[in-house]
Order: sequence, then C-alpha cells, then structure tokens
Amino acid sequence: MALTFQTVIGLEIHVQLATKSKLFCACSTDYIGARPNSNVCPVCLGQPGSLPVVNGRAVELAVMVGLALGSTVQQATRFHRKNYFYPDLSKDYQISQYDLPICAGGRLSFRDDDGVEVSVAITRAHLEEDAGKLVHPSADGRLAGARYSLVDYNRSGVPLLEIVSEPDITSPAHARRYTEEIRRLVRCLGVSDGDMESGSLRVDANISQKVSDGRWGSRVEIKNMNSLRSLERALEYEVKRQRKVLGEGGEIRQETRHWDDGEGKTRPMRGKEEAHDYRYFPDPDLPPLIVESDRLKGIAAVMPELPWQAESRLVSAYGLSDDDAKIFAESADTVAYLDGCIRAGADPKRAANWIRTEVLRVLNEQKIDLATFTLEASDLASLLALVDGGKLSTTAAKDVFDVMVRDGVALEPAMTASGVTAGLVEGSQLEDIADKILAENEEAVEAVRSGRDPKGKKVKFLQGLIMRETRGQADVAQVEDLLRRRLI
Amino acid sequence: MELFECSAADLARAVREGAHSVAEIVEVHLGRMDRLEPVLSAIVTPLKDEARARAAALDIALARGENPGPLTGVPVIVKDNFCTRRIRTTCSSRMLENWIPPYDATVVSYLERAGAVLIGKANMDEFAMGSSTEHSAFFTTSNPWDPSRVPGGSSGGSAASCAAGYAPLTFGSDTGGSIRQPAAFCGIYGFKPTYGMVSRYGVVPFASSLDQIGPFARTLEDLLLAMEVIAEADEKDATCSRALRPDFRKALDVTDLKGKRVGLVREFEGYDIDGPIVDALARARAALLDAGATVVDVSLPTVSHGLACYYIIAPAEASSNLARFDGVRYGLSAEADSLIDLYHRTRKAGFGPEVKRRLLTGTYVLSSGYYDAYYNKALKVVAILRDEFARAFGEADVILAPTTPTLPFRKGENIGDPIKMYMSDLFTLPANMAGLPALSLNGGYSDGLPVGIQLIGPRWGEMEIFSAAAVLEKALGAPRLAGGDL
Repeated sequence: MALTFQTVIGLEIHVQLATKSKLFCACSTDYIGARPNSNVCPVCLGQPGSLPVVNGRAVELAVMVGLALGSTVQQATRFHRKNYFYPDLSKDYQISQYDLPICAGGRLSFRDDDGVEVSVAITRAHLEEDAGKLVHPSADGRLAGARYSLVDYNRSGVPLLEIVSEPDITSPAHARRYTEEIRRLVRCLGVSDGDMESGSLRVDANISQKVSDGRWGSRVEIKNMNSLRSLERALEYEVKRQRKVLGEGGEIRQETRHWDDGEGKTRPMRGKEEAHDYRYFPDPDLPPLIVESDRLKGIAAVMPELPWQAESRLVSAYGLSDDDAKIFAESADTVAYLDGCIRAGADPKRAANWIRTEVLRVLNEQKIDLATFTLEASDLASLLALVDGGKLSTTAAKDVFDVMVRDGVALEPAMTASGVTAGLVEGSQLEDIADKILAENEEAVEAVRSGRDPKGKKVKFLQGLIMRETRGQADVAQVEDLLRRRLI
Repeated sequence: MELFECSAADLARAVREGAHSVAEIVEVHLGRMDRLEPVLSAIVTPLKDEARARAAALDIALARGENPGPLTGVPVIVKDNFCTRRIRTTCSSRMLENWIPPYDATVVSYLERAGAVLIGKANMDEFAMGSSTEHSAFFTTSNPWDPSRVPGGSSGGSAASCAAGYAPLTFGSDTGGSIRQPAAFCGIYGFKPTYGMVSRYGVVPFASSLDQIGPFARTLEDLLLAMEVIAEADEKDATCSRALRPDFRKALDVTDLKGKRVGLVREFEGYDIDGPIVDALARARAALLDAGATVVDVSLPTVSHGLACYYIIAPAEASSNLARFDGVRYGLSAEADSLIDLYHRTRKAGFGPEVKRRLLTGTYVLSSGYYDAYYNKALKVVAILRDEFARAFGEADVILAPTTPTLPFRKGENIGDPIKMYMSDLFTLPANMAGLPALSLNGGYSDGLPVGIQLIGPRWGEMEIFSAAAVLEKALGAPRLAGGDL
C-alpha cells in the first residue's frame, strides 16, 4: 500500500515591537539607514558595569498581543539570560524569557484559502532583545570569503516579541495564512509594522512528517524566509524533500536548514549542528516584572478593535463585501477613517468605495499613511454628502477631492479653486455653455443640421463637450433636450 | 594635626569656612600617597593632574560663593571596578589594563556632584575575586599596620588607602565581604548597605545579585556622610530602591540603646575564631549592655551551608557577567586566526588563575543537567537562610558577629589554598546572600594589628546598625590612622 504523509508545522515568529526606544535602554530603535553604531549607549553595547532597565512600553505592547490572542498574561514574569558567545551579542548573553513568558497559551483562528476555519494553538509569547548585525565585507556580503567582519550594534537591544505556535499547522498554505493573520494583528494593534522584507517580522518554521506506517520524521528547522511567498515555497520544498527521503525508507536528520530563495532550495546550515547549552538562569540585574492588575485593565480598556472583529463588524453593520471588509481590517487606521466618514454622515458603501479607490491611491502615490494624510474623515464625508445629494457629480467630486488633498484646504475653498459650484448647472447657465460649445464646433453643428450624423455620433460628441465644460454637473437628460432643441 | 589625619567632615568644614583651600587639602593627601605608596601599593592609577585641576576648579567656584556640596574638597578614592569616564578602569585585570570607560558609574557622579575630589583608583583582587589583593594582576597591596600582611580583599586598596590617610573616604564593592573583611584587616569602618540601597550602575559586576557598593571611613560621622551622598535612587539600576533613604547622620546622636536587643548567632560559636577577635566581641558586648541593650541568642541553622552556596551562586553569575570580555568590543584583544581562536586566546591571556577557576565553576554549575543539583539548590538554601534571618530579626534588632575568623594573614599564607582563602568570608557572606546591611568596625588592637567586628542589620535596617555603632565608637574610640611608623 502506498504511504501517505501528514505535515506537521510549528512557527516561531519574531515580531519587532514598534517602541521608540530599545528594550533595556533609551537608545532609538530607528536603525534602518542609520550610520553604523550611532544608536548605541553603554547598555546596548554591553559596556562593563552597565545595567538594563525594562522599557514599560514594550511590556504593554506584548500584553496587547497576549490579550488579542487570548493568552494568559502572566502578572509576575521575569527575564532570563541565554548565554552564548557571538560577536553580534554585545554581552555574550541575550536577555530573554524562559520559564515565565509574559504571555502563556492562546489561540489564533482564521479561514484558509478555501474558506475553511482553521485554529492554531499558541504556546507562548515572550519578550527578548534583538542582537546587532554582522557585516561581512566580502564581494557577496556572505561570511565565506570575508577576511574580517564588522559589527553594527544599532539593532542591539531592539525589543522582540517571539510568538511560538503549537505544531498545529498542517500545510505550507496554512503556515502562510497563520503568518498573514499574525502580521495583520500586530499591524492593527500598532505593535509592529510587521514588515517581513525589512526584518520586522521574522519567521522560523519547524516542520516534520508523520508517515502512515507509524514512522515520524525528525523535526527540521527552516530559517531565512523573508517573505510570505518564500515561507510557503520553502515549506513546500521541504515537504517534498522530506516525503521523498521517508518514502525511500531514509531518515530525516534533525537539523537547521537555510532557505535559498534564488535556488528555491533549503540546505543544511554549516557550523550550527552542535547542541547549544545556553545555561539559562534568571537575570539578577532585573527584578521580577510585575504587571499590576490595574495596568492590565488599563491596557485592556484601550485595546483597539481586532482585525477579525473589525472585519465582521464592517460586513454586518455597513454591509461591506467580505473582500472589502478584509482590505479595511488590514489596518486599524483605515477602519477608523471609514468609521469617521460614516459617523460624519457618509453612506457606508460610498465611503468604503472612495477610501479604497481614492484615499488609498493617494497614500500609495505619496508613500504616506493615514496619520499624515491631511484630509479629515469628516471633510471627505461632507464632500460625499454633496455627491449623494446630487449636488456634485462624481467627476467633479474627484476634482475637488484632488484639490483638497493637494492644497490641504477645506471643501468650500477647494470647490472655488477647482471652479466647481454645488448643484446642477441648468437654465440659462447651461444654455450659455451649450451656445458656447456649439459656436466653437460649427462643423459638427453643421453636420448634424444637414443630416450627416445618422448614428448620432456628433451629437454625443457635443454632449460630451458640454458635460466636460460643466464638470459633469449638468443633468444628461437636460443636455440632450437642450441639444435637440438647438440642433433642429 | 596634619590635614591627612582629619576626617572628611572636618575637611569639608574647613573648606566651607575658608580655613583651607581645596588645592592645599588635595596636595597634602597626594603627598601622603606619594610617601606611603612605595610601601603599600594600594593605588592602580593615581589621578594627580586630574585632582589638581578639579581642586583649582572647586576653589574658583568657592571663591564665587558657590557651595558645590557636602563633600566639597574631600579627597576620595574608588576601587578600580568603578567606571570613570576618560580614566582607565582596570578591575586589576590584564583584560582591562588599558580600558577607558565612556561613562561614569552613578556613585562616581554622585560623589562628584557632592564636591568630592577623586585622587586615585584603588587596587583590588582581579574582578573582585579574592580576599587579599594577591589576585590583582598588577601587584599585592600591603597592610598599613604590617606590610608583610595582606590588607584583605577584594577592596584591599580602598581599605589600605583610607586607613593610611591617602583619603578620609574611599569606596569599594562587597559581594561576599569584600568591603568588610579588608576594613577589619585595616582597622577602619567598612559598610555594605542593604541590597538595593546604593546604585550598582557602572560598577563592573562580580555577582549581580550579591554586589553592593559601600564606603570606608575612619569615623562613623564620615561613613554616614558618605552614605548620604551615595545612597540615592537611580533609574539606571532596576535593583536600586526608589524609596527615600533615612537621615543616616541622626544615628550620631544616639547615646543609649534602651529597649534594643543585640543578637549573637549561636551557630557562629562553634567556629575557630582568633582569641583577640573573641575578646573584642566581648568588649563590644559589654559596651552595648552598658548602653542599655539586652543580649539575646539567635539561631541561623542553615548558615553553615552559606559558604558552599555562595561559591555556587557567585561564580555562576560571574561566568555570565564576564562573558562579554571576548576581545571583540573592548579591553584585551588577542591576535587570532578565527573567531573561536580570538575568544580562546583573549580569555586565556586576559584572566588570571582565580578568575578562571571561578568562571569554570560557574559555567559548570549552570550547565544543563547540573543546574538543579547546584545552582537551583543553592538558591533554595538562600531562600531558607533569608527566612532564618527574618526570624532572627524578630528576636533581635541587630546582630553582633565577627567580621573574619582570623587577624590579617601574611602575604602568601593562603594563596595556594583557595578553600582556606574562601574561609575568610565565612562571617561576611551571609549578609550578601540575604541582602542585609552589615558594618565592620574596629574593636581594638592586638600586637599592633587591628581587630574587626561586625554588626548585621535587618533589610533596610541601616539605622539599627549605625545606632549601635555610635554607642560603640563612644565606648571603644574611633579607628586610629595607620602607617604612622612607615
């Protein structure tokens, strides 16, 4: 009988917390693009005699994630030292958590690509400090071939939250979905920018195979998956590799493998084979970390709406489609903006449509986020109110919108600046415009009058010109009527 | 009376009143240092130019009518594990022989703020591991009462320089007795505060859960003055208390101890203690009774395991604290062909034998498979010891005990026998393990050698100790200046 296999995956996700200062000192966490070793102090450089002091904000962010995942937030927790020698580790130990992580247990549920509900148990989430970065001056930036290495400690001490899942994940696609959900969560909570490419969110996977003949393949750890796509590809590769080995009666070596995105392969990491003895012990420089009940309640009280909560609310309260709701729930700011518009009187679907197409477009073009976007939700709502009231055509409204965004002005001045008036262009105003257009297009007028426009193309052309001149603010029926009278 | 014989309080007063300039005071103390240093070898780095410049600046400030602080013009010396900005900080180790810290220890900045003048950095056992300064990588300090003997350790240079009048106030760190044992050997006050009373920030650690910073002085008033300056909250040290400190100098007004109970530890009776120390304890006991105190027996059944547990916990923490000396960022960096080679060569060349012994012990007791048998078990014993102390302090307000089992030993006498060397910490390390304040004070002299005794208080019970010490100073006299015949 042919063998069948079951994939078993557990993920460890390191989330870089979006604090201004590092986990144990006041240095800036803004290391991207910073001059090497410019955001450093005696503490994060591990200078003899320096001591760590816990950043309260990092604790709060960790608690928020714990609350969102339904973890038990441990009110008495502590830090351990994980001892190992490596040049990027400024003290030659990492301050991490061991027996008492700040968040214990929890669960994350999501729908997979086929809409099936999946639930993954969370083992724990703990706080720890990041290490510095080694820079190898070889041609390809790799260690091999470099004559020396440089260390940049700007990242040393940046706070990380390591979220560890149970081995509940059964496919590479689910691993990708789980990671997407974690990313959406941390973004919505404002806990991290969740950017995998820049390393704000790093995923290590443990993957093994259970074989139908009762064998269990050893667990293999995969590292260096820098995007959701490479995570899924790496795991797919590994599933195939492990099944092939096991299918041929071989054994899987327990090891750490490195994903090579260019080659599309995992390969064993050299020199990482020996078992480490990290000699964990409680860090005597840090007293037990107590999260008082009041503080915990305070954090719970200011928890934003979670993405999955927002998603279902947008569908049920506003009648948004599932797809739209998902796009909005990607970021708490976007949800808040939509809520603001609707609170200010805008029609939910129109507001959603405008935000998705116009607002997000501008944000994308200008590479900014809603926090720095000048147009208030209430301003957008007043603009949309004019559209709803038939006072402004969609075309005109978009012109006004662009001016409001470009010049950072309110609705009225933007309308003046773009030469649009609220309300229909009709009566003598419309007649004047029509006369002007007809005067400018004598050829077309002549053609129509002499019956050389059997398909009405010229009439349509003239009608378009009038509509453009009124910025869509004329009633099409009125324009047609007017033209018919004028062109007889 | 020479200026170097004066107390810090007297010098600060003289400066305030304009009787002496800071420059004059500093010069006299530098002169004293110059004269005795060839014999004592207490100082790793003298700071003559820095001290003179600072004295001149202080004199100018004083002339402008400023009052920089309670220690204005007082020369001070700190142990060479206190980080000093732009001034090398060696920990008496080859590893840090040329290391210049980019920052000041909190205690150093508090002293500076109070107007003190740092005139030197004192010799110590390498990384504070030792009881004699014989484990300094540079030289051994001599006891100013008898240069053939050790001054004690690890803060031996600080103790010897205070006793000999280089400075009226010096500072050290105490992990298992490293302030009190050399204070006893040099015949002066040496105080280890409650864990968390004084900031450890910027003092290169030996064992973080046990280390505490404290002063040496030749008068109780000076000791308390120093405590008022250094015992302040510090947001850079998470283990340093944020609570307000008492007004320590109030203890100087105490004349009687009516209603106070002085505890004697039953388990300490069984140890072999030098006769003069037993006699000094009896004199102290009589003086305390005279002042109205009662004497009670207290019991610390687990204290006999203290030494064993200390030599598990302290090396364990040290093995992690000293890992950072790897040749990558600062200090000694050996020529090497590879990363692992760099680690091996640097640490082989940089650390002395006693440090290596403790790092090996500490690494071993934290290893998987041994953690529970050693480190974890030691922590459990410490928890029991803390409970026993808490119970004892229900029955007594302060404990009177020996500081050391012996008088100052001769150089070389114990160097080949680590266990015997470790034994000199027997009576001091329980206070570190329980986080308690403890004071060594002079209880008299025997054949020209000082005899130290110890007062141990409950957590945050500094005032209990200082009150008893005030009574004892009045009855037994303040320490004498050492080095008179050198």
